[in-house]
Amino acid sequence: MQWVSRQFTTRVIVLIPIAIAINIVLGYTVQTVLKLPIYLDSIGTILVGVLAGPLAGAFTGAASNLIWQYAPVIGGGTIGPFAITAAVIGFMAGIWGYLGVYRPRPASGAQLIVAAVVAAALVVLVAFPIFNNPAYTDPNVGAYPDWVFTAAIVIAAIVAAVVAAFIYVRRDLAGIWVAVAGILTGIVAAIVSAPIAAIAFGGVTGSGTDLIVAALRQGGSNVYQASLGQGLFSDPIDKTITSFIVFILLSGLSGRFISRFPLGEHLRQTSQPAPELAPPAA
Amino acid sequence: MTEPGRVPELPDYVARPASGAYRGLNPTTKLVIAFAEALFAFTVRGWTGPLVVIAVLLACAVWARIGRAFVPYVLATIPLVISILLVNTLLFPGATDVIARLGPLRPTWSGLTAALQATLRVVAFAMSVALFALTTTTDQLVSDLERRGLGRRPAFVVSAAIGTIPGILQRAREITNSQRARGLDTQGRIWRRVRGILPLAGPLVVGALTDVEERTMALEARAFSAPGRRTVLRVAPDSPRQRLVRWVLFVGTIATIVGVVVGALAWLP
Repeated sequence: MQWVSRQFTTRVIVLIPIAIAINIVLGYTVQTVLKLPIYLDSIGTILVGVLAGPLAGAFTGAASNLIWQYAPVIGGGTIGPFAITAAVIGFMAGIWGYLGVYRPRPASGAQLIVAAVVAAALVVLVAFPIFNNPAYTDPNVGAYPDWVFTAAIVIAAIVAAVVAAFIYVRRDLAGIWVAVAGILTGIVAAIVSAPIAAIAFGGVTGSGTDLIVAALRQGGSNVYQASLGQGLFSDPIDKTITSFIVFILLSGLSGRFISRFPLGEHLRQTSQPAPELAPPAA
Repeated sequence: MTEPGRVPELPDYVARPASGAYRGLNPTTKLVIAFAEALFAFTVRGWTGPLVVIAVLLACAVWARIGRAFVPYVLATIPLVISILLVNTLLFPGATDVIARLGPLRPTWSGLTAALQATLRVVAFAMSVALFALTTTTDQLVSDLERRGLGRRPAFVVSAAIGTIPGILQRAREITNSQRARGLDTQGRIWRRVRGILPLAGPLVVGALTDVEERTMALEARAFSAPGRRTVLRVAPDSPRQRLVRWVLFVGTIATIVGVVVGALAWLP
């Protein structure tokens, strides 16, 4: 019980409604103002998970989607049934929080270059099972159109390059773990979402990503496999971007603010280099 | 549907409690009805589930005298419905019963059937949400749930979230306009638009989080974490009959889901 109540301090209870509002408003703004084919509706969920723990994150995710659906301030749409996915995303974020994934890890010199290369390799490695998913490769499930496969590889290469650049430019090794956490969250989110989309909405969601569903169907995938193929395509990208945004936001918040949350200690830099003393005046 | 960002002139708790046909039901009863309708429409496959739910919903709507207010909710499903109809009719896996050959397109009967059933499910779900949202105020629902033992914390989260959204939406609009004035590109190529995410998300999230400290202090000063239950100022009316309806719907929905999972309802059209 202590594990549960520790995640729901008054401060967290105050944070959750704000996180829910951020999920809804930011998801809506990014989709309508920037018109991007990604969701970005889980920044608040991941933030709560990382700061407070798995249960708080799961609660934030599920509550966001249910409130968005049943208290339609800005268009309910089809978000409600995906409350299950949102809860899983929040739960995973809590685990990343415990593991200290979002803790800054400053580094310099050769260490950075090695890390950037390792990160790029890791991204490709984690993305590999996606290409090898039966949704794309099993001829019995469906020979997808070639461009889907090519696009997936190109996007993985771009993500790998961006992650490597992020690590190098920000001089921070944490980029590796932030990217891996984002991609893993995306893969799980896709696996959880596919049956929901297939059962509730005939496999589509009424957004731009339906084009990918159509392409996979064209290749002969069944309803579920096409939804899964689309999810494995969109979700890792979406969650990796979200993961990096949360990391950048956290590094912009004051340490004093962060350390008051239940998992605050897991987010603080542990090995701080000793401050160099100024050379004595000659 | 409330206009985005519109701040209502009177808060819910000042407004007169809902009364009259259907609206006067206990808020929890209406919530249970909405969930049961959604689950029934989604789990019972084929035509039966969605059609039964839509019939029940139309009857309730007539009873509650909701007419035109339904329309925006149903219209909001149009993009999804178009997508469902196109993708399923034209590209249904394994279907061979072609309706007609239109150039490269091969619409099929089995695809059309599946598409129409999915459309009905979506419409039934949208209507169940509409019936609930149009007849229930959040404030009454939350206070009724709290009286039934929902903790103070979840109750606060739900009502605070709904109360916070208009303010954050307003702030998002201001941030968008300021960043556009500074040259944020919202029309250009996809790469330029991706670069707009951080200038929008950063100020919004960091700005919203500055309130956390003050609100925490305000709640603690008002004995938020004190033990014991709060009293409810206005108790929503309830009746034994409604209690019976809730239990029947609860057990019935679970039985239906179990029935569908074990295949006992496969005989339904």
